[in-house]
Amino acid sequence: MQVYLPIAEMSVDALLLMGLGFGVGWLSGLFGVGGGFLLTPLLILIGIPSPVAVASGANQTLGASVSGLIAQWRRGNVDAKMGTVLLAGGVVGSFAGVQLFALLRRVGQVDLAVSLFYVVVLGTVGALMVLESVRAILRRRTAVRRKLHEHTWAHGLPMKMRFRKSRLYISVIPPFLVGFGIGVLSAVMGVGGGFMLVPAMIYLLGMPTSVVIGTSLFQVVFVAANVTLLQAWQLGTVDILLTLLLLAGGVAGAQFGAAMGTRLRGEETRALLGLLVLSVALSLLWGLLKPPGNLYSAGPAF
Amino acid sequence: MTETAAEKAATARRDRVFLVVVDDSPEREVALRYACLRARNGGGRVALLRVMEPVPMIEWAGVGAMMEEERREEAEKLLSGLGAQVQEITGSLPIVVIREGEPRDELLTLLEEDPRISILVLASAAGSGGPGPLISALTGRYAARVRVPMTIVPGGLDDKELERVT
Repeated sequence: MQVYLPIAEMSVDALLLMGLGFGVGWLSGLFGVGGGFLLTPLLILIGIPSPVAVASGANQTLGASVSGLIAQWRRGNVDAKMGTVLLAGGVVGSFAGVQLFALLRRVGQVDLAVSLFYVVVLGTVGALMVLESVRAILRRRTAVRRKLHEHTWAHGLPMKMRFRKSRLYISVIPPFLVGFGIGVLSAVMGVGGGFMLVPAMIYLLGMPTSVVIGTSLFQVVFVAANVTLLQAWQLGTVDILLTLLLLAGGVAGAQFGAAMGTRLRGEETRALLGLLVLSVALSLLWGLLKPPGNLYSAGPAF
Repeated sequence: MTETAAEKAATARRDRVFLVVVDDSPEREVALRYACLRARNGGGRVALLRVMEPVPMIEWAGVGAMMEEERREEAEKLLSGLGAQVQEITGSLPIVVIREGEPRDELLTLLEEDPRISILVLASAAGSGGPGPLISALTGRYAARVRVPMTIVPGGLDDKELERVT
């Protein structure tokens, strides 16, 4: 069933797209992740132009994260004040990211840049995940202890603010910078960034783990919404048909994945996720390195 | 003859255990107080059960481990605080149980496993939104799996009324 995607300017099998959405939704429900980091590269691999793939990835992340945010909000696991500071950084960062994206597009290097970002970020993240789980599988229980209220140079920064829910009294600069970084990544890669935001909140900002997931979802939802909006408005790269087909599959897939995910836990699952992330990075790397089939024909400069 | 029967009854009373489920509801306070007062007035001990929410799947193993640790610490802190409260009223420390999982299932498993527990004390929510999930489940679909008598304390009782009924 071929459909023509008006913005991506190509025909794709609608069932393939729904299947892709279903698969990514299933994995994101299973592993409890946003799914943007899987969807964007997969779309690129089936031939969707990178700018459209990035915009759709951000959109999918938004759809997948909203219900999670509502659930966490009801249970009071969202530090709204910290979330707002992160979000302020995130909005500025995603705005900067979209400008960077527009610049790359003008010089015609957007495909290369998106792939490179993915190879570097996913390669690092995937390798760390696999390493961490292998280590944990070998040793099983490892007591990871962190010193509470460790004093670092970050505590000397000005503009301190009290975050009651996170039991922190810190400068707003580190959370703003963290939000900014995730915002840039979100705009360029079309990911929510939760997989980097969560460890950053714990290890860099020292937030208690109970509020980390809810607060990161808070940031992810609004930043992804902002990215989608900016991409649509400034670059005109949001393909509504593509997004609709992906989301239709994704919503159904997420339900299945979440139901299975409660039974599937532990290190093996994590190692699997790490391998998945790594293989996506490697396939993109291969795409960058392999000699093109036709050396003398340039693709359309999107 | 009658004396030995009375003695027997007295030791039996001392042996009984009131189990209170420590959740985050406001009526928990009422159930706990009721159990303490009955244990003080009629003999017996109080047991506290805290069921932790299992840690969700997180990408990073280190974060997951830290999350579990923090939850356990929090549960222990809460229970030791309540334990002091129980000791103040009944004079003895409560039995403390921490489990991880679905509160209803863990409660039922504990009742099956631990024969010391003789009475389950639950308090119903004071509002109009129903008695609370545990009471609804244990008096409804799961009623057949409850192994001990159950006491439901109305969540709206104040201290004076609690004194009177215990």
